[in-house]
Amino acid sequence: MRVTVIGIPVRDQQTALEFYTEKLGFIKKRDIPLEGGNRWLTVVSPEAQDGPEILLEPAPIHFEPSKVFQDALMDAGIPYTQFDVDDVQEEYDRLISLGVEFSVKPTAMGPVKIAVFNDTCGNNIQIVETL
Amino acid sequence: MVLKKIVFCNVTFYEKEIMRIRSICYSNEKQIETVIATRNFIDQNFEEELNLDFLSHIRFTSKFHLLRLFKRYYGLTPGQYLIFRRLEKSKEYLKKGMRVSETCYAVGFRAPSSFSTLFKNKFGLSPSEYQKEQLSQRDE
Repeated sequence: MRVTVIGIPVRDQQTALEFYTEKLGFIKKRDIPLEGGNRWLTVVSPEAQDGPEILLEPAPIHFEPSKVFQDALMDAGIPYTQFDVDDVQEEYDRLISLGVEFSVKPTAMGPVKIAVFNDTCGNNIQIVETL
Repeated sequence: MVLKKIVFCNVTFYEKEIMRIRSICYSNEKQIETVIATRNFIDQNFEEELNLDFLSHIRFTSKFHLLRLFKRYYGLTPGQYLIFRRLEKSKEYLKKGMRVSETCYAVGFRAPSSFSTLFKNKFGLSPSEYQKEQLSQRDE
């Protein structure tokens, strides 16, 4: 068994693609048209292009419980998932300059530093640096 | 008083949890400083001959205490982290075309056979298989 794809629910796939590539710096890996304008749309880290793919899936649009769950996480400020970075403060500064909104500024948590931003697609995402 | 209440209400559940967990799990700053400094030392000197005696000596602590602390905060022992760090670096050298035995010594391992075994266990390919794969992808 291997981990190759991890899904992130998004409200709009095109908006998500633009945010995850243009702001976060991921690279589009697959863009396969499906029915009803939906796409099998994945992005990967530029540093691990053969690594796990993030599937930007439009679940909240088509499945109400997914939307309810996503809204509940957003309201509570809980990250849907997290990504590793080399330097949280540097990434925070870079993303702030691109207009990304953070709900948690760079914060030390023992041997790691974290920050949480809004991905504009319905999710909080956490970035983590191991100190 | 009113202002304080409003500010507190704006704090999300997650932020409250961060503060709560930090006060319970990460209140001992001296311990955290010790493990972070040890990890940083390994990062900067992984190609050298490092062992627990030496790492604990430079942090003025007992080796068993350091072992327990490191494992508690990072989930693996200093020795496991050292191997992880060396193997990650070895991938970089192999990608650049460095010979397997040369890579082995360059990242701090002393025996090519144990390097190959650790590499294969972690990445599923031997160092030479990994190198062949990487170089063929680069040439495509």
